[in-house]
Amino acid sequence: MNGIIEERKQSIVLKKAGMENSGITCDKDSVSGSVSQRACVYCGARVVLNPITDAFHIVHGPIGCASYTWDIRGSLTSGDDIFRTSFSTDLRERDVIFGGEKKLEAAIEEVVLKYQPRLIFVYATCIVGVIGDDVEAVCKSISEKYAMHVIPVKSPGFSGNKATGYKMACNAIMHLLKSYRNQPVQKGINILGDFNLAGEMWIIKSYMKEMGIPVISTFTGDSSYEKLIKAPSAQLNVVQCAGSSMYLANLMYEEFGIPYIKVSFFGVEDTTESLLKIADTLKDENARKKAEEFCAEQSERVEAIIAKYRKNLEGKRAAVFVGGGFKAISLIHQFTALGMKTVVVGTQTGKKDEYEVIEKIADKGTVILDDANPAELEHYMVEMKADILVGGVKERPLAYKLGIAFCDHNHERKHPLAGFDGVLNFVEEINSSINHPVWDFIKSEVSSYE
Amino acid sequence: MSKTKIDPLVHLNSNPCKMCMPLGSVTAFYGIRKSISILHGSQGCSTYIRRHMATHYNEPIDIASSSLTEEGTVFGGEKNLMTGLRNLIEVYHPEMIGVSTTCLAETIGEDVPAMIEKFYYAYPEYKDIEIISVSSPGYGGTQFEGYYRALSSILANVKMDTAPNQYINVILPPMSPEDVRLIKGAFEAFEIPIILFPDISDNLDREFEKDYKKLPSHGTSIDEIRKMAGARMTIELGMSFQKASPGRYLSDVYQVQYLPLHLPVGIRDTDIFYELLSKLSGKKIPERLKSLRGRYADAMIDAHKYNADARAVVYGEPDFVFSTIRLCAENGVMPVVVATGSVVLEMKEVIENEIRALADRFMIRNFDIVDDVDFKTIEALAVKNHANLMIGNSDGRRMEEELHIPLVRRGFPIHDRVGGQRLRSVLYEGSMTFMEEIANAVLSRKEVDFRDRLYHKYYKQEEETLLEKMNKDAVIRTVYVPVDRKKMEEKTRSHPCYNGCASESARIHLPVAPKCNIQCNYCVRKFDCPNESRPGVTSHVLSPEEAFARYKLAKEKVKNLNVVGIAGPGDTLANFDSTRRTLELIREYDPDVTFCLSTNGLCLPEYAQDLISLGVTHVTVTMNAVDIRIGAKIIQYVKYNGMLFEGESAAAILLSNQLAGLRILTAAGIICKVNIVTLKGINDLHIQEVVKTAKEIGCYMTNIMPFIQVKGSVFENLEATSTQDLAQLRKECSPLMKQMTHCKQCRADAVGTLNDDRFKEFDYSEAACKSVYNG
Repeated sequence: MNGIIEERKQSIVLKKAGMENSGITCDKDSVSGSVSQRACVYCGARVVLNPITDAFHIVHGPIGCASYTWDIRGSLTSGDDIFRTSFSTDLRERDVIFGGEKKLEAAIEEVVLKYQPRLIFVYATCIVGVIGDDVEAVCKSISEKYAMHVIPVKSPGFSGNKATGYKMACNAIMHLLKSYRNQPVQKGINILGDFNLAGEMWIIKSYMKEMGIPVISTFTGDSSYEKLIKAPSAQLNVVQCAGSSMYLANLMYEEFGIPYIKVSFFGVEDTTESLLKIADTLKDENARKKAEEFCAEQSERVEAIIAKYRKNLEGKRAAVFVGGGFKAISLIHQFTALGMKTVVVGTQTGKKDEYEVIEKIADKGTVILDDANPAELEHYMVEMKADILVGGVKERPLAYKLGIAFCDHNHERKHPLAGFDGVLNFVEEINSSINHPVWDFIKSEVSSYE
Repeated sequence: MSKTKIDPLVHLNSNPCKMCMPLGSVTAFYGIRKSISILHGSQGCSTYIRRHMATHYNEPIDIASSSLTEEGTVFGGEKNLMTGLRNLIEVYHPEMIGVSTTCLAETIGEDVPAMIEKFYYAYPEYKDIEIISVSSPGYGGTQFEGYYRALSSILANVKMDTAPNQYINVILPPMSPEDVRLIKGAFEAFEIPIILFPDISDNLDREFEKDYKKLPSHGTSIDEIRKMAGARMTIELGMSFQKASPGRYLSDVYQVQYLPLHLPVGIRDTDIFYELLSKLSGKKIPERLKSLRGRYADAMIDAHKYNADARAVVYGEPDFVFSTIRLCAENGVMPVVVATGSVVLEMKEVIENEIRALADRFMIRNFDIVDDVDFKTIEALAVKNHANLMIGNSDGRRMEEELHIPLVRRGFPIHDRVGGQRLRSVLYEGSMTFMEEIANAVLSRKEVDFRDRLYHKYYKQEEETLLEKMNKDAVIRTVYVPVDRKKMEEKTRSHPCYNGCASESARIHLPVAPKCNIQCNYCVRKFDCPNESRPGVTSHVLSPEEAFARYKLAKEKVKNLNVVGIAGPGDTLANFDSTRRTLELIREYDPDVTFCLSTNGLCLPEYAQDLISLGVTHVTVTMNAVDIRIGAKIIQYVKYNGMLFEGESAAAILLSNQLAGLRILTAAGIICKVNIVTLKGINDLHIQEVVKTAKEIGCYMTNIMPFIQVKGSVFENLEATSTQDLAQLRKECSPLMKQMTHCKQCRADAVGTLNDDRFKEFDYSEAACKSVYNG
């Protein structure tokens, strides 16, 4: 392809027959000038923590960081909704010169005195370290003064990529949990890496209820201070979005001895497998029995509907560009189940082991890219004749401009894609975009009157 | 759990009504032919701005980043920027590159112009590409300032051609591509040759084409930009609130005549605009335009009375706000809050001049004009000034959701609707669409709510009829469930509240119901005061499973535990799922235990049948008045079916539901008790009426209770009821019906007999709470 940046060439591989583990370059800083689709450390941290519904999320930095992340994600709440309000210290020129520490201190104190919150997160953005603000010290002194938790989140944008931000968020959560480590173990699990987009956490919890497995804490979809602090008492951590939360699962294993398993609730196959895995890990035969019955019943319901769609979708070609590798893997499985081929697979921040799995399960000829840019996506979607792109909203207009259907699998969507209901939503969305009548008209040109 | 209401804060921006400088800068570069932007900073800035613009314009937005890392931040980002520029050129082949700085680059003191010089030196093959440096730190201003900074930087950096030419420079403020097209079309109609700067009309609202081009190829060309120095004149549309005026720059440096002009939004400014075009071209105003104007004038009349009802909040970028205010003022749309997130000190005066006259005509006293504000401040002002309409970008959607005020979407960003790039406001046709959308928003609200509004306002005389109707409904809906009379009597005999403490029976109150759907003026619910005993207080709210566990424990420890009550701390029926689950769990374990429950009665008609099915035999309803005028003094609000009611409508809803619910229960043989809180000067003279009503609908007894002062409640200063007064009231009412005289006003988590509350033994949460800060 013409116009692939030299430094990017090792991040694009073509799946060949019998070849796996081609050693794609991933988990690296983005190449300057490449128009990466990635956001920054702060974004990663914010994504993970923001769904904590009753926390005050204070962004210490200039206004942009707060402005572009305010309430754009579809995490739902059953309780308080403080998380939907954006708080920023809105640093200005004079703060950059004289420092923003005093402003931050006054801001946190105002919130503490006015609302008596139990939990505040303070996100340190790019410039606060550079201008010499000691965010940690401010947080510590206010925490002690008012006997509550003000937790610094070290998230200057330049200090890594989005995945670094996930880690910083996990560290902030551990900062909180460590104060509550001595709790007797109780029956039940924590769910990690689900953000209750469009109520997905509620779907997963309803499955747990069906199986008779109590859910102690959720990270972080629809969670609250009171619920979070019970987490150390759980028997098991169940990790849905591995990219964002494996690190937390590891920390909780080290600190509290809570074992973890990776699961995925995208697709019938993955959902069923995950529910059984949870029951088995807990050695709960009753739960396993219930899960088997439940999944059989649900699969039957869902499969009957999918069967109708399958004839519409068989042989269609999908391109996938999502945040993490685990989700990409689930999507490949889902497309295979629909009789579709995945021809392009990319992620923003996939890990080496995830790319190995992707290469293993992908069809021959599939293009695999890490941290792709719009030029590469354009090129490969056209070359591989993709019928649909699964991605985030930034990629949507590109797909449309190329006359390619689109499915939003990112944080802004307003319908669930997880669980059995999610499978149906997914199939419906794929079908209604791929088989939409507009494509019949836009691809032909207007006849001339001349 | 209830939602926390966030008020404006002094030291924090809560919900920003602005974006940052690089976004504006990038937008300006999108109006230049074959240009692309790179942000010098960390990766996130470009991604966020791309996402923000992509959802507004529905176009692919490619913005590169120098992707500064830790190393770049410490040692300087020159290497990153050089590599970035080279990569960008290789992929996109642009004619111009805008290098806009971010907060980070400015803070670490990057010298971008010097780096660009170095880049040209290192890559002489790229010397024809215009690389423009724009200083646009996010902390230095909003997108509005960033936009003008970029325009000025372009003019200052491109090599200009001063040879006089016939063009007129037209400088545009940030506006929709559709509006840009309309302006362009107006000049074309008068055959005036112009250089539009910038021209985003095609690049940010592209056609669907068979072959997609990465780099949009429309917009102002570099050649045209060079000619701006030799143009006949510069027309700068917008208010020039900004410091960096490209028109003034051209005038100062190249002596190009400078004419600032209002954006042609609304009839006055469009007239002026066309008169100017006519004068410049020497052509008459064409008939087509005259009839357009006539039609717009006709539309203004058609809509004028609806527009007069509008009390608008107008917010956004300064030029958008100013031009919208002009349109509003002409159409009698009264702006009661005018706000921008930018710092524009001079805006207040011009806008005040504009709306003062309208305020005087309509006798409106309160309006506010504010700059440098956030949405929480705007929201508070909107409530204060009784706004009923908002005009601005999608970021007002939270307010729309919160205040139930319609939002007419204009400006940037529009990301919760399609077509943001094609919203029109300029010239007669744009003004017409804009004005009619405003009028229709007023109408849509009026059409939906006028029936209810007027009903609640005026339909007072016949509230009684409403009550009767509700009662009748209740009777019809009642399903009679045969209750075992004998068993019922036995249960009543052994219930400590109903037998005057005569038995040794103990009871347990399970606090599983935290939420409440009404706010009584005497009540503040607190969860954690073990030393205080009164209704509504509990140490810890329990889940149904925890409540069940506590019941089992209490059953072992407390002898004669025969009664399970659910009494809060909120309202049992406002938390019906928990209440139901708790009762189901206990019933399965213990088929004989007596269930009693207390409620404010708001949801009683809805759940009465469920309560009967669950085996609840004793229900207490707190009913402090049977006259809605008195009821309205006791409650602040009622939340019912997702709506908030206040005043007499709230009292009417509550009362009719209490009566209807009690009728269903008494008809089914359920033992009902009515609790009445004595509130001196409010309902103390009315209590007999309440008792009579309770008797009439078949209740078993009433419990006239003393009022307890609670700090922080509305009635915190109301006199507490004396024992004498209480005894007197009970005595007066005892001929009417059975009176409870031994009430201990139990906590919501009481355990034991009435004389020996042992709840502290069962409060396992307290110890847990104390350990919170000890790690």
